[in-house]
Amino acid sequence: MADNAVEIHNLVKTYPRVKAVDDVSFNIEKGEVFGLLGPNGAGKTTTIRMLLTLVQPTSGSIRILGINALSDPGKARHMFGYVPQDVSVDGELTGWENMLMYAKLYDVPRQNREKLIKEALEYLGLSDRANDMVSKYSGGMMRRLEIAQTLVNRPKILFLDEPSIGLDPSARRFIWDHIEKLRREFGTTILITTHDMEEADRLCERIGIMDRGKMVTIGRPAELKSSLGGDIVSISSQTPGFIEKLKELGYSLISDSTNGHIDLVVADGEKQIPNLLASLHAHGIVIETVSLKKPTLDDVFLHFTGARIEQGDSFTQAKQTRRTIRRLS
Amino acid sequence: MQISAGRYISRTATLVEFEVRKLLHDQTQVWIRVIQPALWLLIFGQAFTRLKAIPTGNYTYLQFMTPGVLAQSVMFVAIFYGITVVWERDLGLLNKLLSTPTPRSAIVMGKAFAAGARGIVQAVAIFILALIIRVDISLNPWHLLLVLIIVVFLGAFFASLSIFIASLVRTRERVMGIGQAITMPLFFASNAIYPTSILPSWLKAIVVVNPLSYAIDAMRSLLVTNDLSKLPLDFLVIMTAAVLMIALASWSFKRILS
Repeated sequence: MADNAVEIHNLVKTYPRVKAVDDVSFNIEKGEVFGLLGPNGAGKTTTIRMLLTLVQPTSGSIRILGINALSDPGKARHMFGYVPQDVSVDGELTGWENMLMYAKLYDVPRQNREKLIKEALEYLGLSDRANDMVSKYSGGMMRRLEIAQTLVNRPKILFLDEPSIGLDPSARRFIWDHIEKLRREFGTTILITTHDMEEADRLCERIGIMDRGKMVTIGRPAELKSSLGGDIVSISSQTPGFIEKLKELGYSLISDSTNGHIDLVVADGEKQIPNLLASLHAHGIVIETVSLKKPTLDDVFLHFTGARIEQGDSFTQAKQTRRTIRRLS
Repeated sequence: MQISAGRYISRTATLVEFEVRKLLHDQTQVWIRVIQPALWLLIFGQAFTRLKAIPTGNYTYLQFMTPGVLAQSVMFVAIFYGITVVWERDLGLLNKLLSTPTPRSAIVMGKAFAAGARGIVQAVAIFILALIIRVDISLNPWHLLLVLIIVVFLGAFFASLSIFIASLVRTRERVMGIGQAITMPLFFASNAIYPTSILPSWLKAIVVVNPLSYAIDAMRSLLVTNDLSKLPLDFLVIMTAAVLMIALASWSFKRILS
């Protein structure tokens, strides 16, 4: 299919102890922003590294713009721009030198180099710091420089691995604006991995949710949210038998109870809450709190995997990245 | 992967260029690395010249040891290049570099010859120091050029050895430890600071397989003795060793990532 930038079939990567990626298939259309969403350890980074020809898959096939990336990695690499999760600019060089090095490695013709580097630095608001050592940059500036680097070789496909991890909210918003601009102005196909729901919701046209190496579902954020079939009503109660009663009444629960707290999917939530409360009350159940919200991608994730995404080591990992950035300076 | 020779060389040259630029940005570390060879020449060399404890024939002990100190300092700098590769992996630099159309062996070559270029700085500093303390060494420009070529290949050999070690042990601390563990034995089991004739036969056997000995022998013949009869053999050994080690390091390079 000519309209797909990336085609992946039955991709598997097995490490001695774990199956990091377990039979994953998906396509990314040309010009699309596709998000791989999932908790840490879901297999997103391994997937992206296989696409980038950095890791050899155990089995499966990868086509990048019609090129077989497994048999012809050198050709595929000319299409790529890559911003890894960890810091990938060299603190011992200036911003300009970091740009120049990648322009050379991507065979950008000599006569265009200066102009393209200048434009890219301007585009990301780094012109006045171009001749400073990168070790003096903030984390957000390093990220901007990394994105600027990818602009110089005009990649067909841009891979962003956790683009805003470890950044403060304003730097994060700045990066998001630029990713949106890139797609609008250059029509670049972009693959983003993230465990940040807000990021996925805001930037991605389609999202693939990964969990424990498997692709759980793929769709547009709005579709995924509406696939839950309604609004999310959260109720808490300490009355024993509360959850059984809800099930009896035919409500669909999207998680197991924690401390007498439960999320339900209810069509037309606003109208249903009075009925819900009345019927629970009639069965002698004392409700402590009730709240209603529109479904988020986190609820979608919870629905498909039975766990919330922003749990576990995401915080530690963000801290780790921070530390790496600090160690550079 | 199909890639033209021209592009291959230009990529390697690019990587060397930016390693050299890093040196230019941080010149203090260059000068710090000159301290150790300076101490060898100024203290060890001066003392043993006076003691006359080591038989060096018609030449002063300082003349004899200057090439040895030069080779040693090139080795000491190059043997830790694997650490920078591990460091660049720990950051995202190496992954990004590998996602560009740059062959892995060009990355190893780039680092190896950057160590070579670094060696040239060491060499120039040691030449100047040797002239200041009036060591009588040859100033024939052709001889000096050949010495620099040896320095480059010697640096490339030890840097790729270090990258090879890094690909096996994969942490900075271990590369550092192993580097430290092997440099002294290689230094002592060579003709750097004494003629090998005074060594026991088992040590002589190590000297014969130690590329450092051939580099020192070549540099000594060019700078001091002017006896060039073994020069072709020395060059052959050093260049072959460097090429083989670069090939070995390129082959095992991908292990660093996992």
